[in-house]
Amino acid sequence: MPRSKDLDTVAPDDLSVVAPAKSDEIVVSTPPKETPPKEIPKSPPKEPVKKKSPIIEEKTDASKKEDFNQKVYDILGHTKSPFSSFLVRPKVLTFAERDEDEEIYLAVRPHWINNLSWIVIAIIMFFVPLFFHYFTFLNFFPAQYQFAAVLFWYLITFIYAFEKFLSWYFNLFLVTNERVVDIDFNNLLNKHFAEADISMIQDVSSSVKGILGTFFNYGDVLIQTASEINQINFEKVANPEKIIKLLKELRDLEEEKNNGGNNNG
Amino acid sequence: MDNFLNLNNLESYFFIIIKIFFIASSFIYLVFALIVVKQVTSMSKNVTDKFNLVLIAFSFIHLGFSVLLILTMFGL
Repeated sequence: MPRSKDLDTVAPDDLSVVAPAKSDEIVVSTPPKETPPKEIPKSPPKEPVKKKSPIIEEKTDASKKEDFNQKVYDILGHTKSPFSSFLVRPKVLTFAERDEDEEIYLAVRPHWINNLSWIVIAIIMFFVPLFFHYFTFLNFFPAQYQFAAVLFWYLITFIYAFEKFLSWYFNLFLVTNERVVDIDFNNLLNKHFAEADISMIQDVSSSVKGILGTFFNYGDVLIQTASEINQINFEKVANPEKIIKLLKELRDLEEEKNNGGNNNG
Repeated sequence: MDNFLNLNNLESYFFIIIKIFFIASSFIYLVFALIVVKQVTSMSKNVTDKFNLVLIAFSFIHLGFSVLLILTMFGL
């Protein structure tokens, strides 16, 4: 490959062809005489470029996470009772389908006021045997039969209340950093599991109905998604407006992450 | 025929029927109690929380009482 004659590309100590004087002569340029080196103004020493270490990146991630957790607390507040129907960042509660790094921000059950009806019925059922002696035809039965009947009655009362409690306790709506999850157990025998990614959420709406709903601030939160299960309904949950706010924050965070990913890529 | 129509015999038939009914229902109830134990255990595996052990304990106590119910029915 022929060398370029551009002077900029010729190093001072290069032996290079400047210009042929004659066709046979070749003028060889000699290196210039040594001249005292000019003093080059010293520029301030450049600071070494700091490379982001993975530890620092982790720290920033951790601080971001902490900031978001604080935001979650600001939106939802704190809960202490494990029997609460509105659990913010529960520490013990988990579910079988949870991923290892998945974090539960909110676990909600139907508002406790919905339990009032079965609690009243169970209390009435509990006191019913006290009135058995008013029914004279029952005295016809021997004491053993009466005892067996009362035992049977109390077992039915217990299982009625227990089943209602279990249906409430295990009927969970979860909001995690990745998705929203709806876990239902109907009549002890049927399990229903539905989930949708945060990124799949399209619309979120809520409705608070009736006197009790308005008074105790509970209602339904309807989440429309672009996934296979096109809607998830959180029924009779407390503070629907807070849930909507949290979902909005999570969607914003998800969008931010996606945008960051796209910019980097 | 006279013996069959005897009031005492009728009463004893009535109690036998009642007893059979009680025993049958208590057996059905025992099956139900077993289902409850199974279901509570399964629920607890799906959703883990602080009080799952207490709930499982309750379901077993309930099972114990349903066995006691059967024994009581046989003792009638």
